[in-house]
Amino acid sequence: MGVPTNWDGTLSSSEFYVSARSLSEKWKTTYPALPSWSWNSCARPFGCTSVEIQGYLSLQHFCCPKFVEEEIGDEIYEEEEPTSTTKDEPTDDATLAHSYDQVLHFYDLHIVYNISYRVPVLYLRGYHSDGQPLASDDIEKDLPYHSSKLIKDSRWTFMTVEEHPYLNRPWYLLHPCGTSEWMKLLLAGDAFVPEREELVQQYLLSWLSVVGQVVGLRVPLEAFKNVTTPHTAADA
Amino acid sequence: MAEIEKRKLSSSSSSSSTTSTLILQFAPLQSLVDEGFWRRLSSLKLDTLGIDQSPINITGFYAPCSHAQVSNHLTLLAESLPPEVGEQSSDGTIVRGNRNRCPVPGILYNTNTLESFHALDKQSLLKAEAKKIWEDIHSGKAEEDSSVLLRFLLISFADLKKWSFHYWFAFPALVLDPAATLIDIRPASHCFSLEEGESLSAACNEWRNSSLTADVPFFLISITNSCATIRPLRDWKTCQGDDKKLLFGFYDPCHLPNNPGWPLRNFLALISSRWNLEKVRFLCYREKHGLADLGFSLVGEALIPVPQGWNDPEFIPNAVGWEVNRGKKIPRCITLANSMDPTRLAIAAADLNLKLMRWRALPSLNLNMLSTTKCLLLGAGTLGCQVARMLMAWGVRKITLLDSGKVAMSNPLRQSLYTFDDCINGGDLKAEAAVKSLKRIFPAVEAEAIVMAIPMPGHPVPTQEEDGVLEDCRRLQDLIASHDAIFLLTDTRESRWLPSLFCANANKIAITAALGFDSYLVMRHGAGPLCFPPDIRNGAEDDLSVSMDNLSTQDTRGRLGCYFCNDVVAPIDSTSNRTLDQQCTVTRPGLAPIASSLAVELLVGILHHPDGMCAAAEIATSSSSGSIEQPLGILPHQIRGSISQFSQMTLVGHSSSSCTACCNTVVSEYRKRGMQFVLEAINHPTYLEDITGLTELMKSASAFDLGWDNETDDENDAEM
Repeated sequence: MGVPTNWDGTLSSSEFYVSARSLSEKWKTTYPALPSWSWNSCARPFGCTSVEIQGYLSLQHFCCPKFVEEEIGDEIYEEEEPTSTTKDEPTDDATLAHSYDQVLHFYDLHIVYNISYRVPVLYLRGYHSDGQPLASDDIEKDLPYHSSKLIKDSRWTFMTVEEHPYLNRPWYLLHPCGTSEWMKLLLAGDAFVPEREELVQQYLLSWLSVVGQVVGLRVPLEAFKNVTTPHTAADA
Repeated sequence: MAEIEKRKLSSSSSSSSTTSTLILQFAPLQSLVDEGFWRRLSSLKLDTLGIDQSPINITGFYAPCSHAQVSNHLTLLAESLPPEVGEQSSDGTIVRGNRNRCPVPGILYNTNTLESFHALDKQSLLKAEAKKIWEDIHSGKAEEDSSVLLRFLLISFADLKKWSFHYWFAFPALVLDPAATLIDIRPASHCFSLEEGESLSAACNEWRNSSLTADVPFFLISITNSCATIRPLRDWKTCQGDDKKLLFGFYDPCHLPNNPGWPLRNFLALISSRWNLEKVRFLCYREKHGLADLGFSLVGEALIPVPQGWNDPEFIPNAVGWEVNRGKKIPRCITLANSMDPTRLAIAAADLNLKLMRWRALPSLNLNMLSTTKCLLLGAGTLGCQVARMLMAWGVRKITLLDSGKVAMSNPLRQSLYTFDDCINGGDLKAEAAVKSLKRIFPAVEAEAIVMAIPMPGHPVPTQEEDGVLEDCRRLQDLIASHDAIFLLTDTRESRWLPSLFCANANKIAITAALGFDSYLVMRHGAGPLCFPPDIRNGAEDDLSVSMDNLSTQDTRGRLGCYFCNDVVAPIDSTSNRTLDQQCTVTRPGLAPIASSLAVELLVGILHHPDGMCAAAEIATSSSSGSIEQPLGILPHQIRGSISQFSQMTLVGHSSSSCTACCNTVVSEYRKRGMQFVLEAINHPTYLEDITGLTELMKSASAFDLGWDNETDDENDAEM
């Protein structure tokens, strides 16, 4: 049975789970150099009566490929007086002195199903190597040039902050407005319409090929092998 | 491959002798504390610990390095702390067997003050942890559970008022004295035959993939006949044998090509003191893509001289390990105010909501302008309360509320900023109660209360009060001068006169909202007569208003009228000698929110119009007749509505040359005579009518209506 021509570009939550599994598998085999996507099962959020699967896909500790030059006089770190109450520990020849010429930014990416829009939503947060969260300005600087522009001008991508539905603290996210429209264009825009099962399998991968670009995460073309419609992000 | 054969460890005696004097240097562990840890610590402190400063056992996590440029960090997560009360997973035990989360036992000293944080005796604390490690080595415990070799210590001060956390990690390492020296270190792939390498990789992968051993960071590797096996430390004795190559393996968090990571230090201490070895080969186990990577892993060979005094049972070695912060021995500080301070969160959420509106519907929406526009609300009653709320909803942040009254018992039901509490004990001052309420709704609002009455014409002032009234006039004038938009929201006509005059004089945006029993008027005042730019284009105006222009009197062409332009009487005392139900405050409750919302929408329209307050009036049906369409829609002059008819219409009224508030004569006279003029207008009811020629006009008219609401069926552009 094919997808009805009036498919609206959305997924049910159980289809999301299937699609998430599929993405996670394909990701592992085709792009092993990156941290892998893993499924986090969660307790149902309060008030949710659905019996469907609860959880999200996560890719943790993704090291931003750009090495940012350290700014002198970084304000995030308070300069503190060295404590004088204790003696300094003895100098130790066996301790390697570090070089501190580079600052690393890490990112956690989560794909969470949004029950109102019935589409996946990309949540992200960035942090310094000691765990200090990145401010939105820092994140914008980390984004590839084309996507900072995309975020400013595009009607499809809007970065905002909301409470993470499972972690209950503020995370950045790409707003789900419009997702179903462009997913429909991406997957059912052709004369050829894939079977529903197949469509579910490739949904997240196709979706990630678009939103992943915003955060500098390119979906490798190999991941599209065995996927019938050869769309790329450029079609969106 | 032949070269690799040559470099087999067994032939290490061929290593150059120059390296033998090198001290083996270990790359220190680095800490990473997830936001979730600090959040849970905050709630633990608030809900459970209180001022208790007892140390808490916590668990850190680490894994072998898997990134060629980045070392793995010792990471603290929310799960590192005991679970919060009432949490679902209340067993409190860390799930074992996660290959990417090898548990490391740690201890947390969280102090109540920054002073006690700084006063902690760090050296003793470090020594105490080192002693635990030393004892675990000697009791044999470390061979049973090797994770105790890698302890850590965390001292912290959680400033819960500022959402900032001062902290300092230590990774205690027993100091070998004299230090171990390096014989050789190179990629593991250079140290084994192909066969050995394959066997070793397979054995490591098996170790890493079994849930029983995946998170066991120290192990023994024995290689016999090119076949590698991995065993836990407790199997030390069975690993002995002359035909075996023995290596001491550990999960290495370090990525550097020439140095082992920190965990090896205490491992060497164990090897030296328990097994009395002086020459050891070690494997710094590192991964790629979740699998053993011998090209990235290192094999090293080191000499451990017999440490001084270690055979003394009372002896405890020195320890080092306080983490440096960018090369300095100072604590770190992290601030989570952006994600934990409720006020900042409210501001961010409000901003994002408006940005979302801009993104979805109104790309030209200028949020910056809205947030910096200073609004003065004259009157904090039904209209004032609602206008203030609507302004905040649009992102206006600077709001001044002026009122002289107190909150009465009847107010809270209609006046949306007040509650019963504001009425008791005689009632709070409205302006102040309203400001308090605005700040409760949105803490980032810059709201100010002005308690004063607006001087009104027709309310004569006794001589002894003259100075006070003039002072109020000046104050009002200053307030109007220092704001960008003025809302006239008082409940009498005459109280709008002075602000209308001041706005016309200062050319400030003025918006009036007025209520009848079941009808309302919302209008924007035109530009002042003396500030009206001569180059205002009339050509762009719609046909209707052009034809209205022809009807207009000789006053400046196209200038829009003010609240008083349609009147043929000067404002007089409208509240004295009337029964309560004649006062205009009796209205259907739904009117004020409607009129207030329209007033605010009108302001947003003016602010976004390229001509601002000089913009020509548009009326509802005219949008198709060629006027430039603004994203926010048309910008009318007046909106009149009737709730009894559920109808609303837009009207245009041009300025009147005999207006008592905004005509050239009145404004010029005010400029010439200042407050003396105002005082005369207040004290002599007919003064304004005399100077504007209204007296003259009235003589020729037999009858007139007092209020605007009787004119609503007069659909003409009510030019005098």
